[in-house]
Amino acid sequence: MMKYQSFIGLEVHIHLLTKSKAFCSCRAAFGDEPNSNVCPVCMGYPGVLPALNGEAMRMGAVVARALNCTLSPKTWFERKQYFYPDMPKNYQISQFASPLGVDGWVDIPAGGGGPASSAAGTATKRIRIKECHLEEDAGKMIHAGNVSLVDYNRAGTSLLEIVTEPDFETGAEAECYVQQLRRTVRYLGVCDGNMEEGSLRCDANVSVNLRGQGLGSKVEIKNLNSSRFVRLGLDYEIERQVALVEKGGMVRQETRLWNENRDQTETMRVKESSNDYRFFPEPDLPPFSADAGFISSVEAGLVELPFDRERRVGSEFGLSREQVTIVCEERAFADYFEAAVAEAERLGMDKKVAAERVAIWMTGELKRVMNRDGLGAADVGALKVTGARLAAIVALVASGRISGKIARQLFDAALVEEAEPADIVAARGWELVVDPARIAAAVEEAIAAEPSAFSGAAAATAGGDVGKARTLSAFLVGKAIGASGGKAEPGLVKAAVEARVTAAATAL
Amino acid sequence: MSRTVLQDGFSAYLDAWEARIGSFLEKDAETIAGSAVLGADREPGYASDSTKGVLRGLPFGVKDNIAVKDMRLSCGSRLLDGFRSPYSATAVARLAAVGAMPAGKTNMDEFGMGSSTDNSAFMRTNNPWDVERVAGGSSGGSAAAVAAGLVPFALGSDTGGSVRQPANFCGVVGLKPTYGAVSRFGLVAYASSLETIGVLADSVARARTVFAAMRGADPLDQTSFDAPADAPSLLPLGGKPAEPRAIGVLSPSAVAKALASTLSGQAGPAGNGGPDEAAREASAAAMLEPEVALGFEAAKEGLRALGHRLVDVELPSLKYGVPAYYTIATAEASANLARFDGIRYGNRPAYAENPDGLIDGARGSGFGDEVKLRILLGTFVLRSGFQDRYYLRAQRIRTGIRLDFNRVLAGVDAVLMPVFPTRAFGRGERGLSPFAQKAADLFTCCANLAGLPALAFPTGVEGGLPVGVQLVGKAFGEGLLLDVAEGYEAAHPIARPAGYRAFWG
Repeated sequence: MMKYQSFIGLEVHIHLLTKSKAFCSCRAAFGDEPNSNVCPVCMGYPGVLPALNGEAMRMGAVVARALNCTLSPKTWFERKQYFYPDMPKNYQISQFASPLGVDGWVDIPAGGGGPASSAAGTATKRIRIKECHLEEDAGKMIHAGNVSLVDYNRAGTSLLEIVTEPDFETGAEAECYVQQLRRTVRYLGVCDGNMEEGSLRCDANVSVNLRGQGLGSKVEIKNLNSSRFVRLGLDYEIERQVALVEKGGMVRQETRLWNENRDQTETMRVKESSNDYRFFPEPDLPPFSADAGFISSVEAGLVELPFDRERRVGSEFGLSREQVTIVCEERAFADYFEAAVAEAERLGMDKKVAAERVAIWMTGELKRVMNRDGLGAADVGALKVTGARLAAIVALVASGRISGKIARQLFDAALVEEAEPADIVAARGWELVVDPARIAAAVEEAIAAEPSAFSGAAAATAGGDVGKARTLSAFLVGKAIGASGGKAEPGLVKAAVEARVTAAATAL
Repeated sequence: MSRTVLQDGFSAYLDAWEARIGSFLEKDAETIAGSAVLGADREPGYASDSTKGVLRGLPFGVKDNIAVKDMRLSCGSRLLDGFRSPYSATAVARLAAVGAMPAGKTNMDEFGMGSSTDNSAFMRTNNPWDVERVAGGSSGGSAAAVAAGLVPFALGSDTGGSVRQPANFCGVVGLKPTYGAVSRFGLVAYASSLETIGVLADSVARARTVFAAMRGADPLDQTSFDAPADAPSLLPLGGKPAEPRAIGVLSPSAVAKALASTLSGQAGPAGNGGPDEAAREASAAAMLEPEVALGFEAAKEGLRALGHRLVDVELPSLKYGVPAYYTIATAEASANLARFDGIRYGNRPAYAENPDGLIDGARGSGFGDEVKLRILLGTFVLRSGFQDRYYLRAQRIRTGIRLDFNRVLAGVDAVLMPVFPTRAFGRGERGLSPFAQKAADLFTCCANLAGLPALAFPTGVEGGLPVGVQLVGKAFGEGLLLDVAEGYEAAHPIARPAGYRAFWG
């Protein structure tokens, strides 16, 4: 493969999470009754005019800035003209000459690989972002028997198209970029990133050529509706093109579709001549100039991005790579983690210890419960066990006030009760008994109940049978804890039992 | 005060006139359009101008390319025959909000493309002064209805003169406001960057109150604006004389001479008409017919007599106005009319093999020849690789015309120009060729290219037909133009066609 070089550029369309559509006040929502979220404007009725949704501009600009693009001080829209039944005006309002943002970049782990490898210390590759531009989506056409139906609910919803330069070489790199972009827009709260539902759509351009010869003949691939298909489709296509060239053939410039059932790309249409979209400035919308208020609203929308956060969380809290990956999967989850650690510190715990304990809870018990209840990591805010409450549980264990076993009961209780963990512990009497007199009483009760075990333990100790002595002592510890109603602090009970056994052994 | 359309004898009067002129495609005096335009509450723009109440109870005609809820909205096209609007235009809603009543939809050239209203798919509209002649266009139905006294005012749209030219042909007042002064929401787009909703009225004062009620920024049209605070007032003159103004006069003969200077000297393909032949024909078409020239001179005298100071001005870039206008207008039209595909509304074939066939069928049978011609022209000038030669060049000319007007209007308050080189023309042999009709848009289309307000008003009658002039002013300077014209009207009452009766006070 080193004989050849491959060039991949990606065009990713994301649906912005604006409440209303890009140019009218209709609800932008998916899954509703067909043609229920429509009005004369998004249906292209005679006489209507588009009115730009400022929130779409803001969200688009937030993404552009997060991808290190330069925001255009003045942008406008063009009409992109072509006839298609799902496009009400038969032109799309889009941006051509003045994209919202240009000349950005993102770093991905070199060679692709999963997001786990994006933690500190990994080599990175810079992908240039050509532009981000705002446009409106079309409706959906459904062919059913001998009729064609159109649902215009999606028509006019806000789309941001993010175009990269042809900087990827492998399917793995492209897959990694798409996953990272998906997490980025979710972190920014501007797109749900759902590829199956089409909220994030990816088209790819790919060409191969002899190394050093520049771009080859470009093929466009559509229908890459999961990040895995991005990798599989591109790797398949690179292999296909290389094989063609190896045989002395030419790659035909065309659009191909990824067939997920056959794991291959297939010709969709051959481009004999490029479409003439006859772009011209949209006369119904005045140019948009970014004023200071707009810029500050964009800056306010920027958050620490997944890649940076993983690096920081890894080094600041000393988590393992696997823990970092899970904790930073969603912004809300990472926020939860940091809030919990901060609260545990406030309760007197060491930061690193607190981080370790909180991470264990989050990657274990918390994840398990959320999976069970069908909650994603982003939904962590919906739990009654807030970060602060998880910190309280962790601190209760650390201070020896409850046992690990009680902690799990406490967690389960905190999941359903709107109450502070300390209050739950108090109300249920779950706090461990540490009073030496009560511990001693429990131990005496156990010894009285199991005299043969006690004498056996003393004899084993005196006789140097460490194994037997330990087994019998542990039995007595269990009995003593049982005698305390399960509340005696195990460490103290163990010490008390051992002291009594040693004393008895000495007396033998 | 409250009026009703059904005054004594009015019904018979309306029917008799309509049988002769055919101005309405739909009449419904009972219909009062709801003011709901997609749910938004709006402040009418009249508040500061003391015209509140003047329009209450008055019916008005609405050109059939402006939406009135539940009324037809055919744009004079077969494709939209039977289509009813689910909403009202902002301008209509604002008039309804001050008590005026949309009383019907008026005939027009299909999608506003024409200068006669003969390009309507449905019927001709005749000129109330001479039914053998056209009413002008494209707002011919509105102009004829007002001229015959069937309504006191009507709405039209002016893309390159479509309010002023028919107003001029029918002897009524025609106001094309500043671009953006009146919301375009609800006006079916022909050439979005050029057109405005305008007023055709039986007096200057009426045009003023109507304009005052419907102007102002509209959130549904982001290209609309409120007038700046220092814009001339829209307060009625109230019988006082208009303040004397400096009025620049664009000499029509100088314009014709300039047009002739665009001759390239290159012969076109033999017998096929070359650029020079076209330039010669365009130059000829811009020559004022004697009666119009006579009327223009009389108007100058009349304005001088009222104390205005007249000075000669020149607009050198004007000679390129018509080609630039048609390039931009058709380019925008090719996109604006793309939505008429018969899929979501409008007429379409009963059966088609596929969506493309459906669209082809709907457009092929729905559009008239002039509309198809302009869509093709617009598609041609927007082709990739040719935009610099056509569309962008036209935009540069447009900038030149705007700068010319700015320069001239820095020295005068308004520019006086003819409206159209001829009075209302006849049909057939006595008509104007389609090319000549376009070339004759010279005097009107430049105000659209520059986005400036222009007011056409009748100044007299020559040879049995009305003649008039137009004043072009500074952006948002409608008040000044209306003052001058109202002063003129006070001294020279507007002539009415035979059989006219005044019902509207």
